[in-house]
Amino acid sequence: MHIFIIRRLLQLIPVIIGVTLVAFLIIQLIPGDAAQVMAGEAASEEQLEQVRENLGLNEPLYVQYGLFLADLAQFDLGESVRTGQPVMELVAPRFWITLELAFWGLVVAVSVGLFLGILAANKQNSFRDFGTMAAAVIGLSMPNFWLGLMLMYVFANQLGWLPTSGWGDWQQIFLPAITMGTAGAAIIARMTRSAMLEVIGEDYVRTARAKGVKERFVIYKHALRNALIPVVTVIGLQFGYFLSGAVLTESVFSINGLGRLVVDAIAQRDFPVVQGTVIVLALTFVFVNFVVDVLYRVLNKRIELN
Amino acid sequence: MTTKDHTPVLKVENLQTSFFTYDGEVKAVDGVDFEVRENETLGIVGESGSGKSITSLSVMQLIQSPGEIIGGKIELNGDDLLQKSKAQFAKYRGNRLSMIFQEPMTSLNPVFTVGHQVAETVKIHKKMGKREAHQEVIRMLKLVGIPAPESRAKSYPHELSGGMRQRVMIAMALACEPELLIADEPTTALDVTIQAQILELIKRLQESTGMAVMIITHDLGVIAETADQVAVMYAGEVVEQADVKTLFNRPLHPYTQGLMNSIPRHDVDVDELEVIRGTVPSPAEMPSGCRFAQRCPYASEICNTHPSLAAPSNNIDGHTDAGAVRCWIYTDEWDAEGNPMKNEEVQQGS
Ligand SMILES: Nc1ncnc2c1ncn2[C@@H]1O[C@H](COP(=O)(O)OP(=O)(O)OP(=O)(O)O)[C@@H](O)[C@H]1O
Ligand code: SF4
Ligand SMILES: [Mg+2]
Repeated sequence: MHIFIIRRLLQLIPVIIGVTLVAFLIIQLIPGDAAQVMAGEAASEEQLEQVRENLGLNEPLYVQYGLFLADLAQFDLGESVRTGQPVMELVAPRFWITLELAFWGLVVAVSVGLFLGILAANKQNSFRDFGTMAAAVIGLSMPNFWLGLMLMYVFANQLGWLPTSGWGDWQQIFLPAITMGTAGAAIIARMTRSAMLEVIGEDYVRTARAKGVKERFVIYKHALRNALIPVVTVIGLQFGYFLSGAVLTESVFSINGLGRLVVDAIAQRDFPVVQGTVIVLALTFVFVNFVVDVLYRVLNKRIELN
Repeated sequence: MTTKDHTPVLKVENLQTSFFTYDGEVKAVDGVDFEVRENETLGIVGESGSGKSITSLSVMQLIQSPGEIIGGKIELNGDDLLQKSKAQFAKYRGNRLSMIFQEPMTSLNPVFTVGHQVAETVKIHKKMGKREAHQEVIRMLKLVGIPAPESRAKSYPHELSGGMRQRVMIAMALACEPELLIADEPTTALDVTIQAQILELIKRLQESTGMAVMIITHDLGVIAETADQVAVMYAGEVVEQADVKTLFNRPLHPYTQGLMNSIPRHDVDVDELEVIRGTVPSPAEMPSGCRFAQRCPYASEICNTHPSLAAPSNNIDGHTDAGAVRCWIYTDEWDAEGNPMKNEEVQQGS
């Protein structure tokens, strides 16, 4: 197990290099003169030179990348070209908001997804099964922002049960969390259903019945425990996607998270901020995947060694 | 060994189990009768697909959709099992009748320790508490010959060999001292030396508890070693039933004779037979008469009518009480038809 974790950690190194390289190249790949794009058309020659100097654009590429990595290692993501604030200070508080949002979205996705998946598998090919799976297809194909707007219209504007926007109060959690969690719930429901159906045909489930275990426990104890193994992977991946997919939900509900930050930064051509956000999101994604991998391994150890 | 006068522990009458597939009804078990008595072992033998497993799963009511028991009667010491509700019958399973399976590798749940899985049985049926159940687990593991039962109880199935897992399955099956143990090919997946040990273990446990045992196998060697009574199955039917000595000395049904001809090699599988030409007819082309007719060297006109399982008529010396056979040769009609085939010639086939 330790060896496995160490090996997985070593495998992260090239991934992290790749991620940072891509983030680094964002500025390099801006068509035209990056300094010009950032400073705007009206910028004077001195101003441009100043921007270039600040960003180190006059150095050779590999030196720039080296400096970039060295800064990164000290949690220095550079400064905003608009406000001069350190990017780290901008990103950190918003990162927590996005993390919270993703967490609640995941809570919705997992609880609803597992519940519906088991319900459907329990009565395979019944009306309930078809109904649940049809709902899953709809949930999956509904665009996030549209769902968010609909929810907001019905529950906030029309019924007035919940606030339309913002983040901080517990009432403000529901609509964004449902918006974020719906697609995930649909994926998890389908995954749970197929995993359950597969496991229910296994010999050990028959053994459990042969022992006189009540059908309820056959399903929820003997089968579900095994069916959860592949589902955990999907759940972990969902969390990664939530973090990056938060952008739209945050815009719809005016939540001041990373998504809003990056959208605003792009609009203002504040590339160091874009770069910093991308790095934080990507590294979180990589980290979550690593944890899921290890978790999957722990759950799966007993089977894999067979 | 055989205790003929006892009322049977298990009595199966006219059992019919079918699968309702898109291609139509598959009669996997079609009118099977047999009995198993206390302290007695019934061996069921037959080619792959003859309905042995479906028969035993039917007794346990473990048939899954699209399969269904569509007729017959199953009695356990006089209790009509097919009349029980699902919840009622769950109290019987693992308690009054148990089953062990062919694949010890996949028959134990990979995510629970073996101790937990054995304990589950006694917790359910004997309402034992945690500690008491644990004691019982250790006692059972010891009984089935698992070394260091205290620490083995904490093992997960993947940490045990196939033979050890089958012992765990046996411990689990016998923890509540069932009246009947069904073993569906319990040794097929194991090494030859382990096979002998497992069969020996089942026999020893049977002697100490007096339970009835139903053992299902491809392997006539296993039958010879373990069974008191034998039922030979073909295409969902019992075609011959006799005590083991009689069956081996004088097989009556042409199919049984074919099986016996493969015996010189003790460990041969029924499936590897070359003696019986052809294969089991598929459900779609199942003949309405004798199901073995296409492969039977003695088939004649009368065989187009379905024969019934009956004691052979006394036209064979010393075989009036030799169990039952499903073949026209052993009926008075065979001679009455003026059939050219003489019974002596049939006997030469063996
Ligand atoms: N799920 C199913 N759907 C359709 N038909 C089935 C199904 N399961 C079993 N059958 C039918 O039942 C017949 C008997 O199967 P069974 O498993 O009892 O054979 P068996 O004698 O145990 O063979 P083996 O020696 O290979 O275990 C098969 O030939 C098949 O036609
Ligand atoms: S009934 Fe006829 S076909 Fe069937 S086994 Fe006997 S002789 Fe052969
Ligand atoms: Mg079988």
